Amino acid sequence: MRTFRYTCITATLLGMIMAACSSPSANDAVLLPVKDDPTISFSLWFKVGSQCDPEGKEGLAAMTAAMLTRGGTVGKSYEDILDALYPLYAEYGSSCDKEMTVISGRVHRDNLEVYYPLLTDALLHPGFREEDFSRIKSESLNMLEKTLRYSSDEELGKAVFYNAVYDGTNYGHLNLGTVSSLNSITLDDIRAFYEKWYTRGNIVIGIAGGYDSELPARLRKDLEALPEGAPVLPEAPQPGDISGLRFTMVEKECNATAISFGFPIDVLRGDDDFWALALFNSWFGEHRNSSSHLYQVIREARGMNYGDYSYIEIFPNGGRRSMPAPNNARRQQLFEVWLRPVQHEYRHFALRAAVRELQMVIENGMTQEQFELTQQFLNKYALHYATTTSERLGYAIDAAFYGLDGDYTELFRSKIEALTLQQVNDAIHRHLQHENMQVGIVTMDAQSFADDLLRDAPSPVTYSTPKPDEVLEEDKAIAAYPLKVEDGNIRIVPVDKIFN
Amino acid sequence: MRTLMYVFLLLLCGGGALMADSGDKGVFPYPYSVSTLDNGLTIITIPTSSGGLMSYYSIVRTGARDEYEKGKTGFAHFFEHMMFRGTKNYPASMYDRMVTEMGADANAYTTDDYTAYHMSFAAEDLETVVMLESDRFQYLAYEEAAFQTEAGAVYGEYRKNRSNPWSVLFEDLMKTAFTRHTYGHTTIGFEADIKAMPGLYEYSKEFFSRYYRPENVVLVLTGDFDSEKALSLIESHYGSWKPGYQPPAIEAEPEQTAERSVQVDYDGKTLPLLVVAYKAPALDASNRTMVAGSMLDDLMFGETSAIYKKLVLQQQKVQFISAGFGFNRDPQLWSVYAMVKDAADIAYVREEIDRTVAQYRSTPVEEKHLTALKKRLKYSFLMNLDTPDKVAGGLARYVAITGGIEVVDALYAMYEQVTPSDIMAAVEQYLNPERRTIVTLQGRK
Repeated sequence: MRTFRYTCITATLLGMIMAACSSPSANDAVLLPVKDDPTISFSLWFKVGSQCDPEGKEGLAAMTAAMLTRGGTVGKSYEDILDALYPLYAEYGSSCDKEMTVISGRVHRDNLEVYYPLLTDALLHPGFREEDFSRIKSESLNMLEKTLRYSSDEELGKAVFYNAVYDGTNYGHLNLGTVSSLNSITLDDIRAFYEKWYTRGNIVIGIAGGYDSELPARLRKDLEALPEGAPVLPEAPQPGDISGLRFTMVEKECNATAISFGFPIDVLRGDDDFWALALFNSWFGEHRNSSSHLYQVIREARGMNYGDYSYIEIFPNGGRRSMPAPNNARRQQLFEVWLRPVQHEYRHFALRAAVRELQMVIENGMTQEQFELTQQFLNKYALHYATTTSERLGYAIDAAFYGLDGDYTELFRSKIEALTLQQVNDAIHRHLQHENMQVGIVTMDAQSFADDLLRDAPSPVTYSTPKPDEVLEEDKAIAAYPLKVEDGNIRIVPVDKIFN
Repeated sequence: MRTLMYVFLLLLCGGGALMADSGDKGVFPYPYSVSTLDNGLTIITIPTSSGGLMSYYSIVRTGARDEYEKGKTGFAHFFEHMMFRGTKNYPASMYDRMVTEMGADANAYTTDDYTAYHMSFAAEDLETVVMLESDRFQYLAYEEAAFQTEAGAVYGEYRKNRSNPWSVLFEDLMKTAFTRHTYGHTTIGFEADIKAMPGLYEYSKEFFSRYYRPENVVLVLTGDFDSEKALSLIESHYGSWKPGYQPPAIEAEPEQTAERSVQVDYDGKTLPLLVVAYKAPALDASNRTMVAGSMLDDLMFGETSAIYKKLVLQQQKVQFISAGFGFNRDPQLWSVYAMVKDAADIAYVREEIDRTVAQYRSTPVEEKHLTALKKRLKYSFLMNLDTPDKVAGGLARYVAITGGIEVVDALYAMYEQVTPSDIMAAVEQYLNPERRTIVTLQGRK
């Protein structure tokens, strides 16, 4: 079992001005003073997430966090709060993932004395008002029943894939919950959840930017009003073994097929093999980057879709973000390949192409040239992960979660710099495979796709535009590539039946 | 080369940080210089302290607005993709490799009014970036096969967007609101035109020749760099770029004289969507009524507005209501959006929007509310300047519309002058039923 310690971080801000850590305590604060930054960022990390949702009440952690930041307090209605925040162009919000809930906000330091009491009031004296509850619940239900099911096939495909990977564990449901669980959550559930998890012993405060040196102590003292206690987290999930390629297909009318596949890995940020896998992953599928090998094979050479990427850590909101969002740290991670929607007639081929590329790199490893180029790329590209003070604070909180000292970007760059090709290829061999994976699909006429998969039917493609001979030659191998899907490994679900 | 220097004092926050306040010299907090090469290329340099990073924006003042020929919608966006397909000096694979070696965050996007190519990178790589960017803007060259393959990727992007009901709604909104002007199509273009793109190889070269000319491009550099050295590099690499911009023959949109409305069916489930879009003026920071009009979105429909509190917080009849009264080069739309929870309430929500407009037309806004908005606008600008990329990116639309950034200070100065009477005048002038288009979208299932 892993031990997590929460450490005080001193960051270097890419070599810029950084004062020493001035936390009043070494284990309950993450502080990033940036003297000349006129804004102040807050990240208040509660060690609770959707893994703590009681059975039948999935979505409770996320809804509790939303009630704190998008609802009124005992003394102020939500309308009053919006009025007060409005001229400041400041707000606070929450993010809730499996393991972490982070209440975060940012304000210009001119306006700190107006903002600060609002932020602390939201945490310490939540109103849990009926009108806020009904609004937030209705929004969550709409998000599940309408938006996720019908407005973004890419996000839907990923959600189905994640649920399949973690089925049977406390990671195995959407953070948002299910339709029935959301309907069963009451205000009393939210009050009880808040009282159990939002305690003095369960918070790490994060402050960054141009704040006064007395602010951490002030915040810490004010948060002493939280109830005492440090609740015990559930054990880290132990996802079950996957045997063969196992498909969850969502049947819906749509104009393209969304595909995500992968499997759990036992490698976390900070582990020796993490850095090696990070380098491999950057070469194989750097997010939203044309340097990605998969992107080159599927989009660049064949024009089949908008992009093709891979991940060794969860990457929410990939359709909107170009760099990884902080505060989704977990004790269990997964390897994921994401193919952006392809025309239905290419779905079988595109899946084959991606799995085949994965198999080839596992068998052959990366070349010295690929390794060196990616190493050089990451050395500077990592500088873009967290460019703002609030993003750096988010990364520092995550570093604390994983028990890492120092500035994460600098650590990442130094670890990448120290890698050898042998280490990377060894890590690929140790942690990656291509035969036992969950596959999440959103498509039309799913049964026909399932039949093709079970027969391992050839999937030749034709193009409306000319392609080089070497591409056409390789296509023959891809079209006949065996996926070896076994009977019983494909589940087809109508779109209106998922997340119920 | 002509260079003008603009130096503002950094008062409020002591200077040095990436964000600061300009005090009474204007809202834009950084010293900057504007230079123009003999061939017409404009360069805006804004040095900021940013830990060795810098951002390089090449803003082409051509967007979907410039697609005036039939069957060519979506071409500006498609062409943006082609700009990554290499030159004789640096074929695509070499360009990709060099960008990869720099670890640069490089991308591009296309809007109605402009196309922006942006790169963030370590400042030590500036020379390489100038070399690569100047080369592709002057000597772009790609084979027909690569052109046709990229058309497939663009169609993939269209399909990706199409599963979002808002994309469907916008297409119908623009088509209905504009009968002549090129704002009648969205940036991605019509599906039939996207399908036909592979056959337009020759036209793509014509497009490049017409629009990718120095007089139609502005470079914006922000971050840790020396302006003089940067300008010298730029002059040596871009100096031979031949002018020859050909303005597009865009038809003016006739004055709208009657309300238009359309109902859209969506092949999926969604809560009903409603948009009420008024014909808007083009950006003119010297026009107080226009500037007052651009403040109406937040004032009338923002989170502290009466209609927001009533429909979102109290009655909870809409999932959200918001408005976007933005800036364009030509007169476009100012739109109010709502996601309605029950289709039976669509008419009611429309009536509430009408009531809000009527109230602002007849009753002066509270001074307190207007003052709060002015403060909010100032802080929203200042708080979004915290990286070189955000500084340059935040200026891109202003640069595209006006060719420079002086408009920013002019605009924020004008905000300060706006009175409750100006607000009433703007409502009276712009938010009239005969100037609007109403689109409702409902899911079929």
